[in-house]
Amino acid sequence: MPNRPIRDKIKPMEQRAPTLRKVAWLWFAISVAVLVVGFRQAIFLVPTDAAQGDVGRIFYYHVPIAMWSLLFPYLNFAASLAYLYWRKRNPLRALSADAFALASAEVAVVYTSITLITGSIWGRAAWGIWWAWDARLTSLLLLWLLYVSYLMLRRFSSTGQTQTLAAVLSVFAAVDVPIVYMSIRWWRTQHPAPVFFGGPDAGMDPSMLPAFFWNIAGWGLWGIFILLFRFALERRRQIADQEAALQAIEASLEIPR
Amino acid sequence: MTWHSFFDMSTMENRHLLAAYATVLVIQVGYLARVAWQWHHTKNPRR
Repeated sequence: MPNRPIRDKIKPMEQRAPTLRKVAWLWFAISVAVLVVGFRQAIFLVPTDAAQGDVGRIFYYHVPIAMWSLLFPYLNFAASLAYLYWRKRNPLRALSADAFALASAEVAVVYTSITLITGSIWGRAAWGIWWAWDARLTSLLLLWLLYVSYLMLRRFSSTGQTQTLAAVLSVFAAVDVPIVYMSIRWWRTQHPAPVFFGGPDAGMDPSMLPAFFWNIAGWGLWGIFILLFRFALERRRQIADQEAALQAIEASLEIPR
Repeated sequence: MTWHSFFDMSTMENRHLLAAYATVLVIQVGYLARVAWQWHHTKNPRR
């Protein structure tokens, strides 16, 4: 039933809502617990870096969040492709895909912003400068600008084709993600060399691994939680808008006595 | 490192470490709070 009325969709959601709410709270609690462990590992348990001192502990937040910041754009890309595929074939499913694309774009901006800011704070302490126009930093700034422009387009465009335009922009934005990832492999940059898959000199001391992996897990769980919460909010808005539109149509069809 | 040295603002490296961790927490919790606020101020279609 690809085009069943919106009211038929609301009923199954109503039946699932208490279970979904419990799962959401459980997921949130697990995310916070893992992040607390990650924080404790990064600040109190990992030995101080011999070369950088305590400022090197920024690594345990900066790198995991940077890694996740390159995943959310791909979720946005996949949802945008799904929207473009379904927008004529199955408009209700396309609306869901569009809500997911918007949610993943917002989370991508959150994670990319944090990566840029924490990197800059670390750079000032380690290099003596807040910013360098090297390939990694510049390509990540470009990615941030692309997703900010995606959100601005969605917020301020009034063409009636906003969702389609945003989906096409998302496809172009996704091209920058592999460039960001490969930038420290393709070019000599001021940014440190890759930690993983970067050749014989890559890798990290075993004492750093627990803090690193706890924070990857924690920020991943947190990111998925806020992504799904934002998606649920957008779906709630869409369904409320459709209900209002249906009521307006029904009211206009009533014959005055 | 201890809580005391984490909040010690006497050296630049400690200030930057604290600033980085505080920035992460403020942005993440701020975004979650914004979504939660909008959730509670959006009409629930099931009601």
